[in-house]
Amino acid sequence: MGLFRDIRKNAWLYLLALPGIIFLVVFSYLPMTGHMLAFKDYRINKGIWGSPWVGFKNFRFFFGGVNWLPVTRNTLFLNALFIIAGLGAAIVVSLLLNEIRRAAYKKVVQSVIFLPYFVSWMVVSFIVYAMLNTKDGTINRMLATLGHAPISWYSSPQYWPAILTIINLWKSAGYNSVILLAAIAGISGEYYESAVIDGATRFQQMRLITLPLIRTTILVLLLLALGRIFYGDFGMIYGVVGDNTPLLATTDVIDTYSYRALRNLANFSMSSAVVLYQSVMGLIVVVVFNAIVHRVDENARLF
Amino acid sequence: MLVQRNIRPKRRMIRSAGKDAPFSAFVYVFVTLFALMCLLPFWLMFINSFAKESVIARDGFTLFPKAYSAYAYQFLFQNTRVFSNYRVSILVTVLGTCAAVTVTSMFAYALSNKKMRYGNAISFMTYFTMLLGSGLVGFYILMVNWLHLKDSLLAMILPYLMNPFFVFVLVAFYRGIPYELNEAATIDGANDALIFFKIILPVAMPSIATVTLFFALQYWNDYFLALLFIDDYKLYPLQMMIRTLISNLNAQQFISGSRTAYAIQIPTYGVQLATVCVTVGPIVLLYPLLQKHFVKGLTIGAVKG
Repeated sequence: MGLFRDIRKNAWLYLLALPGIIFLVVFSYLPMTGHMLAFKDYRINKGIWGSPWVGFKNFRFFFGGVNWLPVTRNTLFLNALFIIAGLGAAIVVSLLLNEIRRAAYKKVVQSVIFLPYFVSWMVVSFIVYAMLNTKDGTINRMLATLGHAPISWYSSPQYWPAILTIINLWKSAGYNSVILLAAIAGISGEYYESAVIDGATRFQQMRLITLPLIRTTILVLLLLALGRIFYGDFGMIYGVVGDNTPLLATTDVIDTYSYRALRNLANFSMSSAVVLYQSVMGLIVVVVFNAIVHRVDENARLF
Repeated sequence: MLVQRNIRPKRRMIRSAGKDAPFSAFVYVFVTLFALMCLLPFWLMFINSFAKESVIARDGFTLFPKAYSAYAYQFLFQNTRVFSNYRVSILVTVLGTCAAVTVTSMFAYALSNKKMRYGNAISFMTYFTMLLGSGLVGFYILMVNWLHLKDSLLAMILPYLMNPFFVFVLVAFYRGIPYELNEAATIDGANDALIFFKIILPVAMPSIATVTLFFALQYWNDYFLALLFIDDYKLYPLQMMIRTLISNLNAQQFISGSRTAYAIQIPTYGVQLATVCVTVGPIVLLYPLLQKHFVKGLTIGAVKG
């Protein structure tokens, strides 16, 4: 009742919202019915609704198999590396960039470190290939001039957590440091003036004033990243690694695993079970971290 | 504001005059090295796309190749493949961005308006999609089996039409616009749609511009949707062309479109590099504009009050 009255009263507003509402229903809520397939045996001719229920069979298959542990471990481990290295680098870069007093130089540097953020993963993938391919890659050429034998990067999984971390740092450190710099710009100059009178060095000002005052922003960034710790960066990992089997041991994350289950094996039910597992874990993680961070810092929370 | 470096310290610190000099030097060196590290791959791609294929084969990718030629570009633009892929990328980006900005900005305005009693419910409905994803499988079945969008341009446009994050960025911005503007227009007899298009939209232009660029970047750089739904290489966007060039060992056949091209010497690396350069090109050209609005947008969206 109330809804229809409201729609008649604010017809134009609802009309403005309508395309968005249709989008949400079609592209966000309708596909959620796909989660049901986690408990079904999907038959293409019967569709989502008609396929027979099989209880937890798909989950037993996934958790009983050899893949779930490495895939989960890779997802968490790689994301942890990305967060530590990426956010750490962003903090260091933004703090140091803030110490540069030549405005023009600061601006140039800021533009340059932000540039990688705008490049697609496919381009990054090619750059990585140009750097690492065994025969003509820049790194192997450099190793050769140092008298070192070439390393076959694309068949040596042990190097890839480090490689992916470097790629992630290269692409996102600039972006995150711009956010942090915005927070730093909001700090009142009076703090620094009184610190200078007390004889604080520039380094002390950085450590004792700037860093504590951007703590909330750092925590928000950390929380955003931690909330997605169960979600691998598909664009990056599939873009750079692709279906390169020798590397899967250290690079296969939940997202790439479920993608391959769907596309290469056409195993819809299994892929569904993996995705539902990921969604539920992701939801739990967001709620838990939100509560923890809220306890640590009153202002830092997402909802 | 922070130039009073020569004020003498009162406490503990023993080293006094010029005590910041080593730190300052470290700052400049570190920041400059990091910036160079960010820039280096771009330079390598750019300069080597003009290198002679034989030089790349001999020396690898170097900072300053020994001999140059534009043959790779000539070769790339000789056949129609790159043009059709370019056309797809431009079409998807332009159509997608226009539609996405329209849908998202209208939707966000309705949510920001306090008159709508069910606005909060719709807000929550939007927010919930950020918490629980719809999942790859359901999405795939929706696109392929229900909407029949396989091998269609729409498959690369529709799924990104709205983004909850940008919706909330815009809602926050609209809420900052004085409500009196709205009231005055209502008294003058304007309806909510008219108010939005004639009054709110022009005022909100800076943040709309930011969201527009975010969308444009997303459409231009995406390969995920094409990977999932496009099998017809004529409908590939540029990003997929790069992917095919890297993964396909037989790049030669892909470029020339037939097996009969064996007689010509194909600059394989050159063509890959040139493709990367024409893909990144528009972004680098628009970069000053992009950067300005992105920095502004980040400070609206990410630094929560």
